[in-house]
Amino acid sequence: MRSDSRSARIQVLVAAQAARRGARVGVVDVCTAAVAALPVGGAGLSAMSRTAASHPLCSTDDISEQLEELQLTLGEGPCVDAFLHGSAVLAPDLLTGELQDRWTVFADAALDAGARAVFALPLQMGAISPGVLDLYADVPTVLDAEELADALAFADLATLLLLDARIEETGAPSHRPSPDRGFEDLGAYRAEIDQATGILTVQLGVGIEEAFIRLRAHAYTQGRRLADVAADVVAHRLRFSPHAEPDQADEGT
Amino acid sequence: MNQKLLAKTFVELADNLVADFDLIDFLRLLTDRCVAMLGADAAGVLLADRDGELRVMAASDEQVRLLELFQLQSDEGPCLECFRSGAPLIVADLTREVGRWPRFVTAAHRSGFGAVQALPMRLRDEVVGALNLFRAAPGPFDPAGTLIAQALADVATISLLQQRSSHRSTILNEQLQTALNSRVLIEQAKGKLAERRGIDMEQAFTALRGYAHAHNRRLSDLARAFIDESEPLPGLGS
Repeated sequence: MRSDSRSARIQVLVAAQAARRGARVGVVDVCTAAVAALPVGGAGLSAMSRTAASHPLCSTDDISEQLEELQLTLGEGPCVDAFLHGSAVLAPDLLTGELQDRWTVFADAALDAGARAVFALPLQMGAISPGVLDLYADVPTVLDAEELADALAFADLATLLLLDARIEETGAPSHRPSPDRGFEDLGAYRAEIDQATGILTVQLGVGIEEAFIRLRAHAYTQGRRLADVAADVVAHRLRFSPHAEPDQADEGT
Repeated sequence: MNQKLLAKTFVELADNLVADFDLIDFLRLLTDRCVAMLGADAAGVLLADRDGELRVMAASDEQVRLLELFQLQSDEGPCLECFRSGAPLIVADLTREVGRWPRFVTAAHRSGFGAVQALPMRLRDEVVGALNLFRAAPGPFDPAGTLIAQALADVATISLLQQRSSHRSTILNEQLQTALNSRVLIEQAKGKLAERRGIDMEQAFTALRGYAHAHNRRLSDLARAFIDESEPLPGLGS
């Protein structure tokens, strides 16, 4: 990744929020950094799934918290649409007729809560879609091209942080990269990472999200670049097995 | 230049654009036609992501080595220069450009390519990507062919704007993001099918695309259903 890239700049903003909290980088830092960088009043993030219950993870203020809960309870709203369609949903003014018709209950409830504009950015990496980042403003607001690109970059970083948290839940490797090391292993895009993730769904008999988590966990424990591990998987130099310990080196390494 | 083939190709591409088409599927068709019509040995479409990094959207062959050759140009090579300048770039003899692009020329040579051209994908005043053509034999490109290649690059740009979007987004950023995510989805599905069947990445792509066509599905919808196992897909082993 180029150091002057948008992703790198967004990472620095998020890391600064974590430093202020005196904690490791988490999705809450993405929310606070997004609010500081964009013309929005608040941000919230929900974990979403097609097969399990969705739940709010964090929010920067009461209005954001209400927006997350409203959408998950009602089953409608920008965040629900963003998740289902896998694309950003931008609602610059909830008072417009079109948006009132689209979300008959949510639109008024959100206005009552104090939101006027809502932007929902899906967290996704192909078929991996662990949640949605919601931003709101209390006045009609249009994000310009630069702001939207930043918002999408915040969502991408949130995706990785959410999946990283899952690596820790599985108890796999203890030494994940420190926040300052960031995500340099994900710098340049490599098709092999996605192909290897698909391959692991078969080798491990798991879903696509779990496959990606296991791939990254392996790279962490071996102290190798994700792209290199992925290239080994694609070239059949490295095989994963469902029976091996997750943090154990596989044959061929 | 075969006039009939040329006319047939543009009719075919236009036909595909009006229906509810799949972007990756369409761009693969476009790269295949580049190879068939323009005497190229390989073709690829690259799009810039938000960081200005070029990423492969489609290639006339999905073999890992060819994808790598396209992808390498996010760092150096004719596509990157074409993308930055917004002007077509034609290299009749790659061996003369070793000093200019050492890694790219070495990789292209290893894959058996001697000449290359890159055509910008322009949208109003913005360059969003490039169409990349490789030929095995060094030598000048037919200027008439270059004009057609540029027309095909323009068609690729239009297809990007035409892709189905749940909320008819007119924001380029968002359309690019959706396109790039579709490509990630295809790569994940290729990996899964290749491993399941013990086939290579090009065979996996061809099988997924063939299945989508046979069942009148959009390739990316099929890829998602295949990965999520949200429905039985007999013939893909699920």
